[in-house]
Amino acid sequence: MKNFTYFRPTTPEQAVALLENRWGNTELLAGGTDLHDLQKEYVAQPARVVSLSGVNALAGITVDVKSVRIGANAKLADIANNAQLKRLFPSLTDAADQIGGPQIRNMGTLGGNLCQRNRCWYFRDEHTNCLLKTGQRCFALDGENKYHAIFSQGHRCVIVNPSTLAPALVALGASAVVQGPNARRTVELARFFRAPGANNEREHTLEANELVVEVTIPVGNLANASYEVRHKQAYDWPLVQAAVSFERGDGGVRNPRVVLGHVAPTPHVSEAAARSITGQGITEATAGAAGRAAAQDAKPLSQNAYKVKLVEVAVKRALLIAAGQKRYWEL
Amino acid sequence: MPWPTTRRVIGTKVSRLDGPEKATGRAKYSYDINRPGMLHARILRCPHAHARIKSIDTAALEKVAGFRAFHIVRNAGFECRFAGDEVLGVCADTEEHAEDCLRAVRVDYDVLPHAVKEADARRLGAGQGTVGSPPNGPQNPANAQPGGDFATANFDEQAYQGTSHQIEGTYGVPVISHQCLESHGLVAEWNQDQSELTVWASTQAVPNTANQLAQNFKIPAARVRCITHYMGGGFGSKFGPDIQGTVCAELARKTRAPVKLMLDRAEEVTVGGQRPSAYGTVKVAGNRQGDIRAFEVDCYGSPGVGGGATVNFNLLPYVYVTVPFVKRRHQIVRMNVQTARAMRAPGHPQNCILTDQALDDLAAALNMNPMELRLRNLPPNDPNALKTAPNTYMARRNSIYRSQIEIIRKMCDWDRAWHPPGRGDGVVKTGLGMGLHTWGGGGRGPNPTRITISADGSVLVQSSSQDLGTGQRTVTAIVAAEIFGLEPTDITVQIGESQHGPSTPSGGSTTCPGTAPAVLNAAEAARTAFLAAIAPRLNAQAGDLVIERGSILNRANNERTPWRQACARLGQNPVQANGDWAAGLSDQGVGGVQVAEVKVDTETGVVRCTRFWAVQDCGLLINKLCCESQVAGGVIMGVNYALFEECIYDRATGRQVNPDMEFYKLGGIQDMPQIYVHMMDMPERGVIGIGEPPTISTAAAVGNAVFNAIGVRVEHAPFTPERVLAALARRK
Repeated sequence: MKNFTYFRPTTPEQAVALLENRWGNTELLAGGTDLHDLQKEYVAQPARVVSLSGVNALAGITVDVKSVRIGANAKLADIANNAQLKRLFPSLTDAADQIGGPQIRNMGTLGGNLCQRNRCWYFRDEHTNCLLKTGQRCFALDGENKYHAIFSQGHRCVIVNPSTLAPALVALGASAVVQGPNARRTVELARFFRAPGANNEREHTLEANELVVEVTIPVGNLANASYEVRHKQAYDWPLVQAAVSFERGDGGVRNPRVVLGHVAPTPHVSEAAARSITGQGITEATAGAAGRAAAQDAKPLSQNAYKVKLVEVAVKRALLIAAGQKRYWEL
Repeated sequence: MPWPTTRRVIGTKVSRLDGPEKATGRAKYSYDINRPGMLHARILRCPHAHARIKSIDTAALEKVAGFRAFHIVRNAGFECRFAGDEVLGVCADTEEHAEDCLRAVRVDYDVLPHAVKEADARRLGAGQGTVGSPPNGPQNPANAQPGGDFATANFDEQAYQGTSHQIEGTYGVPVISHQCLESHGLVAEWNQDQSELTVWASTQAVPNTANQLAQNFKIPAARVRCITHYMGGGFGSKFGPDIQGTVCAELARKTRAPVKLMLDRAEEVTVGGQRPSAYGTVKVAGNRQGDIRAFEVDCYGSPGVGGGATVNFNLLPYVYVTVPFVKRRHQIVRMNVQTARAMRAPGHPQNCILTDQALDDLAAALNMNPMELRLRNLPPNDPNALKTAPNTYMARRNSIYRSQIEIIRKMCDWDRAWHPPGRGDGVVKTGLGMGLHTWGGGGRGPNPTRITISADGSVLVQSSSQDLGTGQRTVTAIVAAEIFGLEPTDITVQIGESQHGPSTPSGGSTTCPGTAPAVLNAAEAARTAFLAAIAPRLNAQAGDLVIERGSILNRANNERTPWRQACARLGQNPVQANGDWAAGLSDQGVGGVQVAEVKVDTETGVVRCTRFWAVQDCGLLINKLCCESQVAGGVIMGVNYALFEECIYDRATGRQVNPDMEFYKLGGIQDMPQIYVHMMDMPERGVIGIGEPPTISTAAAVGNAVFNAIGVRVEHAPFTPERVLAALARRK
């Protein structure tokens, strides 16, 4: 690990003042579950590390009548175990509860989960110089890509966004409050992520000298759920995740959002699935049709066609869970 | 002397004596050893799957903070043949600085063509080889080499005569890694004048490691001391110092300081050992009644860049060795990845995959219960062995398997729970599958063991044998406690130090059968010497004295002297006696039967192994608890083999993409079945090893359970969602 200078500011403004307007030389440190790994692998080699552990303004979870505020420093375990959040946003708390293992959830933070780097095994190999470093080639495109994107049209890099909270938050209409060098701004999480394609690009749209202060979620009467298909039950990444939310009315589902995780370089919003379920009652048949709609535009790579089928199933099951239907797949 | 016929401690369930040490972290593994002034070493490895070293430039090392010394392993011109081949060792004041040092060394390579996938290596013709000749084999630079060709006489003419049903299937298992939780490595420290070397090494062979280091450094074997008090898993991959051992000791010599060199996780996976892959097409044919007449297998697998078989060629078909017509062909496919090392029953899990899964497919073709098919085709008890060695596996194999199958049939409620393949309602389908296995596990010497009884009542047992985490320390105490009328916790066991003398390496399930007889012989000799020593002081004849639980009985007057009081009579003269392994107290050859229950989500392809039953013999049980634990551990390893593990190599870079515990998947506790173990105690056979057998048939049993659940064969392990979905799609 390259030696670095360690800073521990106490306010968001101080933290941002320590950042630079370019990526790489200075990195933000939250729970450390991602950055330290990257440093030990010499994939990240910052000269300066700015710890957020002393910034109290980033802490806490506040539930009000109209909105919920979750500080960027909130631990994943705190989100997963918060009784009010469980009641309002089971999609979020279930997603948080399945991330990594207890050690990860007790260190990892909301802000870190949203801003973490991707898990592509070529990107994380010090000796493989891919597009996201200084290379000219995406090795996953025609290499080992069974965990990579099935919606990567128009992108040169076929990573999947690793955040499991993001699809749930996007489906819930959440926004991030971002501290910049001069001011704060609010950005919808639906616009927070991007597909990186070079070493000066990240998986999100923040500038190098910005940081996430908190995430706010509007409180409405939204049915919501997240469903993951996992190879392992313990300590694994989802193969595919679907997060859904909708309002229930006399005429069936209203304003549904269907967001897929781990299938594209960003959380993938499926308008087709939303259209399919709008105005419908949720049954196995309508949920299944929405799942097929969600999968229809997928363009799998050489080894991940199975994920298309998993998208269909994940969307169907997430809709059924959100609607409180019987979980036919559980014995 | 034979084993005691009435046993008070032997064969009971005894918790590991070192359990509290391990659970609290007081147990110091090699990884935990920290010596005053210790330096940290790392190894620079070739990043390419195949490359020739053009030049090595170490000039920048001097400028790296903390740098102390380097040691060149390979010079310019050397041809590295896998990503991970050692180039140079370096040491610094901290592990982090040592890592920085690696990045300061500039090595130029001529990158050469490589093959890291079996299919690619098989396509390469003679003259296109990427692997060179195997280091210890015949000169043959081809990637694909013949590994065996055999057919029963008149196979082609007669094998299929009179058969009514035949199946042909493809089965396979990938290259996997040992994934020892404690990685390979050691701490090395020389004495002041560098005439003696001490190493704390993670090894399955304590004296062997010391001896190899002595040879490498050309010093007398007695001047190297290897210490392995606790060890975090080896599974066949840790029988010597390896290159990193020599590098570490060399750097310690150069710097005149203790040096630690433990592999990191990526190194552990890419250079610490692998189990070879095996893929094969199998034909099995039998008559309507289910008598198997022909077994034909054409298989290949990769032992990595070195040579060596990837199946146990002569044991195909596996277990059912008396099938009348057999044809088998094996191809060894060498590719640019690390050379295979022995891994928990070398060749046997692969053989079992190729045999037991094909048997279930034949049973399905015959519309027959696979348990009945197995019972019908079990090898008979060997009549010759029955005459000469009636307690051996050969003499009793049919009886053993038959009784094991009867036990497991009841344990898992097979007759009610089994259904024909693919039957069952709902999205999540349940299936049962079984497999059979065998293993040697014989003991041998030398395992000299010394026992000292002192006036304070303490009993000390010493030998150089090692405890891999399997309970060897406890086994040793149990045998001694039995003879001295004490409890295992009363015995002090000192093992894992080479100065206690020679001992056999812990490979092939031989440690317990190799050492328990030695402890018994030493304890009996010590008992004789002890009774002789105290008899005059108790005014007794030695022949009248016997040891009972906690006391010495004088049969002449029925007086009892408590153990400690009796020992106090020894005064300043402790009793010492030695013993070694001797024939007659151990044997070899076991059988085992396993049944898996799985639940397959047919929409997602996710397989969960939910319950698992294992019936196992291992002769005379010493510690029933540790035996059951070994079986459970073997099952866990096998479930991982079936569902999760695979070394994935990238065609373009020649590098393993998952040298970790993230995408090299290992199940957690939620992924493991409820495991039910039944140990058969067969004391008349003496001690037989238990390490290897219980992991052999697990993956095949899981594969058969998946087949039973969904009615279609998933050809290759691990049985991942994508493979299960692909198999289901094939069925439609």
